[in-house]
Amino acid sequence: MLRYLARRLGQALLVVAGVVVLTFTVMRLVPGDPAVAFAGPKATPEELDAARERFGLDDPLPVQLVAYVRDLVTGDWGVSLHTRQPVRDDLYLAFPASLELVGAALLIAVVVGIPIGVLAARYKTKFPDFGVRFGSMLAVSVPVFWLALALQLLLAGRLDWFPVAGEYDSSLDTTSPLTLWTNITVVDALITGNWPILTSTLHHLVLPALVVAAYPTGVIAQMTRATLIEESGQDHARLERALGFGETSILTKFALRPALSPVLALIALVFAYSIVNGFLVEAIFNWPGLGSYAAEAIRSRDTPAIAGVTLLVALVYVLANLVVDVLQGFLDPRARTR
Amino acid sequence: MRWHKRLLVAGLTGVLAMTAAACAGGQVRGAGGTPQPADGTGPAARQTAKANDSTFVYAPNLDVVTDWDPATSYSNEIVALSNIYEGLTRYNFQTREAEPRLATEWTSADGGKEWTFKLRQGVKFHSGATMDAAAAKKAIERTIRKKGGAAYIWDPVDRIEAVDATTLKFTLKRAAPLDLVASSGYAAYIYDVDAVDADGKTTAGTGPYTIDSWQKGKETELTLKAFEDYWGGWTPEQYRKVSFRVTPEITTAWQLLQKGEVNFVQRLNPQLFEQAGMTDNVRTARSPSFQNLLVLFNTAAGPTKDVRIRQALQLAIDYDGLAAALKGSGSKASGMVPEGLLGHVSDMEPKPDLGRAQELLAEAGYGPDNPELRLSLTYAQGDEDQKMLVTLLSSALKKLNITLQAKPMTWSAQWDQGKQQGQDIFVMYWYPDYPDAYSWFLNVFKSEDEPRFNLSYLKDREIDAAIEKLPELMATDALKADDAFKDLQKKIIEEQAAVAVPYVQTYQRALTADVKGYVDNPAYPNVVFFYDLQRAR
Repeated sequence: MLRYLARRLGQALLVVAGVVVLTFTVMRLVPGDPAVAFAGPKATPEELDAARERFGLDDPLPVQLVAYVRDLVTGDWGVSLHTRQPVRDDLYLAFPASLELVGAALLIAVVVGIPIGVLAARYKTKFPDFGVRFGSMLAVSVPVFWLALALQLLLAGRLDWFPVAGEYDSSLDTTSPLTLWTNITVVDALITGNWPILTSTLHHLVLPALVVAAYPTGVIAQMTRATLIEESGQDHARLERALGFGETSILTKFALRPALSPVLALIALVFAYSIVNGFLVEAIFNWPGLGSYAAEAIRSRDTPAIAGVTLLVALVYVLANLVVDVLQGFLDPRARTR
Repeated sequence: MRWHKRLLVAGLTGVLAMTAAACAGGQVRGAGGTPQPADGTGPAARQTAKANDSTFVYAPNLDVVTDWDPATSYSNEIVALSNIYEGLTRYNFQTREAEPRLATEWTSADGGKEWTFKLRQGVKFHSGATMDAAAAKKAIERTIRKKGGAAYIWDPVDRIEAVDATTLKFTLKRAAPLDLVASSGYAAYIYDVDAVDADGKTTAGTGPYTIDSWQKGKETELTLKAFEDYWGGWTPEQYRKVSFRVTPEITTAWQLLQKGEVNFVQRLNPQLFEQAGMTDNVRTARSPSFQNLLVLFNTAAGPTKDVRIRQALQLAIDYDGLAAALKGSGSKASGMVPEGLLGHVSDMEPKPDLGRAQELLAEAGYGPDNPELRLSLTYAQGDEDQKMLVTLLSSALKKLNITLQAKPMTWSAQWDQGKQQGQDIFVMYWYPDYPDAYSWFLNVFKSEDEPRFNLSYLKDREIDAAIEKLPELMATDALKADDAFKDLQKKIIEEQAAVAVPYVQTYQRALTADVKGYVDNPAYPNVVFFYDLQRAR
């Protein structure tokens, strides 16, 4: 297990190194002087020189790359051009909110996606199967920004069931200030027993989480259905049938476990994907996560912030895959030899 | 162990790890403000934050504060800081003059090289210290020393003296309209230098509001509260609390406004703005800004070196068509100086004339029956209004046998290329840092050996001499200054044809109808002076 873990970790590090080099190259390939972006549109020549010196922009590119890697490793992710704060601090503030949103969305996706996938597999080619396939196809293909705007307009604007935007009612900061531990509002409110903020956050979370959950729910349902159908055609399923087990029992007791292995890998992938997919949703619902930060970084051509977000998302992808690899090795020992 | 038990163990381990991490330490969100004991379980606390009787909610589309230092601040925070800090004067765009703020009166002598400001008495800083001439001198000197943001506006200052507690005297190296400089939205704040806090936990101004809480990155990023000792006093109708709810999406801002959750949206798109105008409980306000678009022609090299081609290009722009296509986000310009500034000319609206343009091109050896003319143009990437101009201009020029090779670029790339004289036409916005038309002439049209913002590369001694005389005229004789600005615009736009000015950007605001007293002052972009507002009963 340790060798397996070390091998996977080595591969992950290689991927991260590749992303770092690629991010740096793209940052430098963008036309224009990065000093101008930092010093402002009306910068004087002296201010431009100072910015160039501060960020080592006059050094040869390989020297700049080494300095960039050194800074990243020591925790210096650069200074954002639009917030003027260290990128690492900005990400530290924004990432937990994204994690909260995507976590809630994935919870919905798993809780809904797997059972309806089982349902579709159980009633293959029958009405429930068609319903699930149609629904999941729709969930996967509908543009996320459209869904966000439509739900916001209908459920918040017209019906007034949910708040239009925000993470929680900001007046609670005065009446029930939240003590931060993890920076994830729901978790902190739960740990500290801050029920007003917890209920307000959950109420605000419903709409954006539903929107972000659409894609993962669709793919998880489809993948569960497909792998279950495949598993239920295996030899062991025939034996189980011969032993008198019903179709539902075969699916849930015997086929679901091996079928979950690829679903688990998929969950890791859609988790990382949803972080990025949620960017637009965050912007529409004023969710104070990476999306709003990334959108503003892109709008203001803030290359250090864009690079920071890119690197963080890459790390999330790599880490999510690593966790799945380890979990798969844990659940299914055959995976360790692959 | 069965597989689902293993999963359970893994899950429990994760929860334990998270709890252990959580026990490492905690801090109260919004600390630095005025959190009160937890007691928010009542129905009122659970309701969504509504713009209520005491809180004015502003919905900006960008971060509210990027720099808390009143000396170096030069960005979005102008909206908040203009309500926390005050300058010696404030610009009135209707009278086109500076008006008293911390200074109650002022005089200039020695041809605009000596300025004496009489300061308001009984003004306190938020720190509790008294605002007097010594404190004001220290603040301006610190701003000059820090050399950040727009500190250059004080460049003409040679010496500052606190003659007595209420008299502040400036001696300048060269004549300048210091009353206008002192009204700038940037770098002109008077603050308690000993109380400046870069982390935004406290404020050091004299303005009507002080900080309540600042939560970087959060939706409600900033909350301001009334400064009880404000020299202007308070009335029951005024808003004593202000919060900023960052709302990047226009459609979301519009929904929040309709529901009354925010009171002010700084921009809407033309469609929503029109809808807002027809919605109950919402009112709209449209006003011209001090930012206009400059289409700068290369006067130094290439085909546009020929003044006839530059004039033809000016005549090819469909100014009215463009203004109509902008659907209210811009209005047709008249001259180079926007309305509301000294030097604005009301009878210089450009008119397109393709026939005359064709004649001029023919004289220069181009046009429909002559060889094709190719011109390169650079403009701001992502700016839909500029893109509209380029589209209309390209199609008009096609008829004149001119092919426009237009390239959208980031500002840094466009500016880099511009400094190398790498294009025939350079499109950019210009705005002054303090309300003075001099900014356009000094920066964009005065000769430069190495171009910085003179991106038409104009070199004209007569124009240079006229520009050099402007500060003294501004400081001593407003009428003569007004005439000088008009003459210069005629020379630069009509005689030299170095630039075309198609439109001035227009602000399109939307407010809840219960807000009274809102006036959009273009000298302070996007600023709402909350103290001037009243809530209707």
